[in-house]
Amino acid sequence: MTRERLNRMTPYMFFGPAAVIMVIALLYPLGYMVYGSFRDWDPSQNISETEFVGLKNYITLFFDPAFRESLSVTLIFAGSVVVVEMVVGVGLALLLDRDIKGMSVLRTLFILPMMIAPVVVGLMWRFMYHPTVGTFNRTLDWLGLEKVDWLGQHALLSVIIADVWQWTPFIFILALAALQSLPRSALEAARIDGATAWQQIVHIKLPLMMPVLIVTALLRLIDAFKVLEVILVMTEGGPGLSTEIVALRISRTATEFRELGVAAAMSNYLLILLLFLTLGMFAFTRWQEARADRIAAAAAKAPEV
Amino acid sequence: MKVTKIARSLGVTAAFALSATTALAGPYDDYAGTTLIVNFPAHPHYDAVMKILPEFTKETGIEVEVDQLPYLKMRERQTLELSQDEGEYDLIAYVVFSKADYVYADQLENLAKYFMNPKLADPAYDADDLIDGYVYNIGFAGGNKGYLEGKTGSLFGIPYGSETSILGYRKDIFEKHGLEVPKTYDELLELACKIPELEPGMGGVASRAASGHHASHAFLLHLAPLGGRVFDDAWNPIVNNEAGVQAANALKTLVDCGPEGAASFGFGEALGSFLNGDTAMFLDTTVVAGQIDDPKKSQVVGKVGWAMHPEGVRRGSQTGGFGIGIPANALNKEAAFLLMQWLTSREGDKLVALAGGNPSRFSTHDDADVNAKFPHMATFGEALKYADPDWRPIIPVWGKINADLGTTLSKVLTEDLDIQEALDGVAERTRAVMEEAGYYTWQ
Repeated sequence: MTRERLNRMTPYMFFGPAAVIMVIALLYPLGYMVYGSFRDWDPSQNISETEFVGLKNYITLFFDPAFRESLSVTLIFAGSVVVVEMVVGVGLALLLDRDIKGMSVLRTLFILPMMIAPVVVGLMWRFMYHPTVGTFNRTLDWLGLEKVDWLGQHALLSVIIADVWQWTPFIFILALAALQSLPRSALEAARIDGATAWQQIVHIKLPLMMPVLIVTALLRLIDAFKVLEVILVMTEGGPGLSTEIVALRISRTATEFRELGVAAAMSNYLLILLLFLTLGMFAFTRWQEARADRIAAAAAKAPEV
Repeated sequence: MKVTKIARSLGVTAAFALSATTALAGPYDDYAGTTLIVNFPAHPHYDAVMKILPEFTKETGIEVEVDQLPYLKMRERQTLELSQDEGEYDLIAYVVFSKADYVYADQLENLAKYFMNPKLADPAYDADDLIDGYVYNIGFAGGNKGYLEGKTGSLFGIPYGSETSILGYRKDIFEKHGLEVPKTYDELLELACKIPELEPGMGGVASRAASGHHASHAFLLHLAPLGGRVFDDAWNPIVNNEAGVQAANALKTLVDCGPEGAASFGFGEALGSFLNGDTAMFLDTTVVAGQIDDPKKSQVVGKVGWAMHPEGVRRGSQTGGFGIGIPANALNKEAAFLLMQWLTSREGDKLVALAGGNPSRFSTHDDADVNAKFPHMATFGEALKYADPDWRPIIPVWGKINADLGTTLSKVLTEDLDIQEALDGVAERTRAVMEEAGYYTWQ
């Protein structure tokens, strides 16, 4: 009896340490943040000395034009980088999915940007965008073209370019891995039936890669919502608030404005937004899988010709 | 009986000898062997301080361990440390903004009890020699408006690594075109826009302008001399009055006539453009003097002259930089005071100035040895007489107002937002922030 009970307990015992770590490392800080977001909290105060203000921080933020502007900048930034990175990353993977000499070197070179620390990336691009001594404007000048005010008039575009440069390789390696694990039989069958390269991509490769691509896009989207260092170093959110994404506003609210409660509320808004996006993406995948299953089931039921 | 007598006389002799030793003991003897942990920023002044600390240990026997951090990181670390029951730091350097937060939260020691203690306070300290504007800006709290000199205030820190604003100009360019060094704002603005015509490709004045505290700093730099303030005496925002509009106009003119891309310049880029020789003038902090004369960093070594911050309707140069104070939760407060006193004494101030730091005393600015090594020091000393401790308010909610002012001005510079409209918006939002913080409770 005891042994039986022990046996039944075994999985929980193995699961135990992970659960404890999860509670301490994830749920406790999260709970602390949610608790803090209902309080008027200055960093000089201990949280127990702070005043409970209910939903005030959330309501203030909801009507705060600066926060709303930050939110729209974040949506534009995250949306643009994910779309561009997906198109370029998957495109590159499709192009490079073949036996070329020196492919492994090429692949390593491609993923170099994402190995560089974000602060260094920020600094590097900031210098390249420099109005007079920067690489871009000097090249434009050399070509006899008019210089561009990268971090002034086109700041958001400039940070999007830098992010695309750094994170396209992430999409590229995942897409390439997905491509290389596709069933060769399907592709061979398509080739035998005379499908063109383009038809193979559109009708076979992309649909089969879709589950991986959706997760990849989701990971990138979540990450894009939290980009901080590169933008902080490149523009500090300026000019005006044109590149101040929510992560940067949270950081400034906590350190510059010293309003930890408001910063916590802002983080919760971001968390809720990301949660909805993730749920949406998973719901979409589920729906797609269910649809595929239905089609497969219908095909199985159909009488053989 | 005899034995008792002998014992008594021995006792008396011993007691006398002991008291004589105590009387003759140096002020540092009780603390020799103590190790102080101090928190300093990574900043040119504190790099110079690192060079003179071994001298302090040699003289006093007190060891000093320094935790040097980038200054934003330093502030974060201090916020955490100061709210503990027992802190790690015995002495901290803090930025002027922190004064409002730390003093308000009871986290800095009031220095009165140390200066009243005859065993700790050096009679030769000469506090009157400390630069007034700096002392009130960085060290004083509880006076007029809560952050200025006044009968109700007292001292919580001593300026150390403080800065004011000064005009650097290219002597060679000025000589080449027979230009006069601008003394007033009108002359400055006119000349700033004349330079690009005289020297194509060169900007007039290198100024910070990037969104946030850079643009705000640059604007406030002009606001005080042009006669403006952020608040009136009753805390009503007056940043949108005529002087405010003039200051914003001055900033816009300087950026428009500045080097290429000036609207996105932070402090680093503004200084960089002057060091590269892309700009004829530089109106900002005195802390840059060392770099301008460093051939590794500067292409304009020996070509730069220094003048006072131009005058508008009054003189008023910035006050900023760092001060040092003793955390309320420090473990070795008395030894920390001795270090603080030594560093800011006449001798300590001269030592740090010779090592490339920013002195905090009038006498150091006039000192012959210091001037022989750094000829600009006399002009800097003159400028300090007009250092304005009220050029920006040091109140707990300033961070938020400052950020709004800076981002709004950035829109003025890059998106051509109307100046009056922009400043009216700032004033309105500032009023709401002040209202919430309780500044209108007595109105």
